[in-house]
Amino acid sequence: MSSVLELRGVGKTFARVPALRDIHLAVGTSELVGLIGPSGSGKSTLLRCCNRLTEPDAGEVVFEGNPVPAGGAELASVRRRMGMVFQAFNLYPHLNALQNAALAPRRAAGLSQGEAETAAREALERVGLGDRTTAMPDELSGGQQQRVAIARALALRPRILLLDEPTSALDPELVGSVLRVIRSLKEDGVAMLIATHEIAFAREAADRIAFLADGEILECGPPGEILDRPKSGRLQTFLSRL
Amino acid sequence: MRIFFDPEVLAAAWPGIRSGIDVTLGLALSSIAAGVALGLVLATVRALIRGAPLRPVGGLIAAYADVFRAMPPLVLLVVLYFAAPFAGVELSGFMAAFVALGLVLGASAEEIFWAGITSVNRGQWEAALSTGLSRGEAFRRVVLPQAVRLTIPPLTNRAIATGKNTALASVVAVPEVLNQAASVQAQTASPAPLLLAAGVYVALFLPLVRAGRWLETRFPTR
Repeated sequence: MSSVLELRGVGKTFARVPALRDIHLAVGTSELVGLIGPSGSGKSTLLRCCNRLTEPDAGEVVFEGNPVPAGGAELASVRRRMGMVFQAFNLYPHLNALQNAALAPRRAAGLSQGEAETAAREALERVGLGDRTTAMPDELSGGQQQRVAIARALALRPRILLLDEPTSALDPELVGSVLRVIRSLKEDGVAMLIATHEIAFAREAADRIAFLADGEILECGPPGEILDRPKSGRLQTFLSRL
Repeated sequence: MRIFFDPEVLAAAWPGIRSGIDVTLGLALSSIAAGVALGLVLATVRALIRGAPLRPVGGLIAAYADVFRAMPPLVLLVVLYFAAPFAGVELSGFMAAFVALGLVLGASAEEIFWAGITSVNRGQWEAALSTGLSRGEAFRRVVLPQAVRLTIPPLTNRAIATGKNTALASVVAVPEVLNQAASVQAQTASPAPLLLAAGVYVALFLPLVRAGRWLETRFPTR
């Protein structure tokens, strides 16, 4: 399977504390890879190194066969094709749902206003919010806001989605609506790298799971192998505490 | 009572004060526009500069803002009008007042815009950049609109203060409201023109104060 995204020996140190160490991880076309691990284990940093929101200080990130450029229009072009979804949604509070999703197609991808709105509308329909296009973020539930955030990424037709604990800020009863959207995207063949605490979801939806502790991938493999037959003591402890 | 509201003196003072209103409004509007624009440009530059070679520019902008917020506008005005000619810079009274008020408001406006920009959540920048927007587009479409909402109440207050400070221009012979009133007062030895001037200032700026209060309820600070 060819990889959309590949991390080769990526490392990151914050104020002399290593946050990531020698990360090797590939995500194939239409593959869903789950990142699990304790809080502070480096899951967010790993995702943010992929699109250089955090600048890795070792190794290389390869996207569609080419190293992710350091900056400028080349990096912006890669970021468009690498959608990111944040734990705190980060919707633009002054724009409605449609404007949130249409902004980047218009201003980053250079589509006409009409084309951008069409792309945004389609993306909102895909996450089940085709009837809330004019709602402002503060008029939406947390689950709906996160689905708008997913639509904002989808409107750019990305090759891969990076999701940073997309359900962690949600009330329990709203988690399901977001996970359903993620499952349907997987059925449509969207490649995804998801940091998550939803182990049951990871077991059922992920093709592979990587377990991260203290900035290192200790184990990586199919869900059955990782969740049912953990090899390292760290992973056994982590799973037993859930 | 008659000495404060002498109808003959008031009638004699009114034409001058009437023309002074135009000067006051012209000076107020032009220096407010220039000051707000200056502050916005400087805060934008400060927000967008990145990388080592340009970093001192941010420090210079912050230094400008600090110095001119510490400078009394009257002092700056008399320096520009009375001292600058010795350096070969001759400004009319109106220009000196415009520059002084604009620079002082620009410093406050820069700090107000900067505070608004830095109070926008970092996640907003990151979300915008993650969709491939350039820093400039992210700033213009995402960060600045949110920052401006936060800046409107304090900026309105500074703008009103600048409008009132146009009265300082009377010391450099700009024929604005106070200057006109004072010259009639000097000729007639009657306080009535000054009271008329005070009433004119309140009539000019009370609507702005009221508008500012309305804006504060419209754009509440978080």
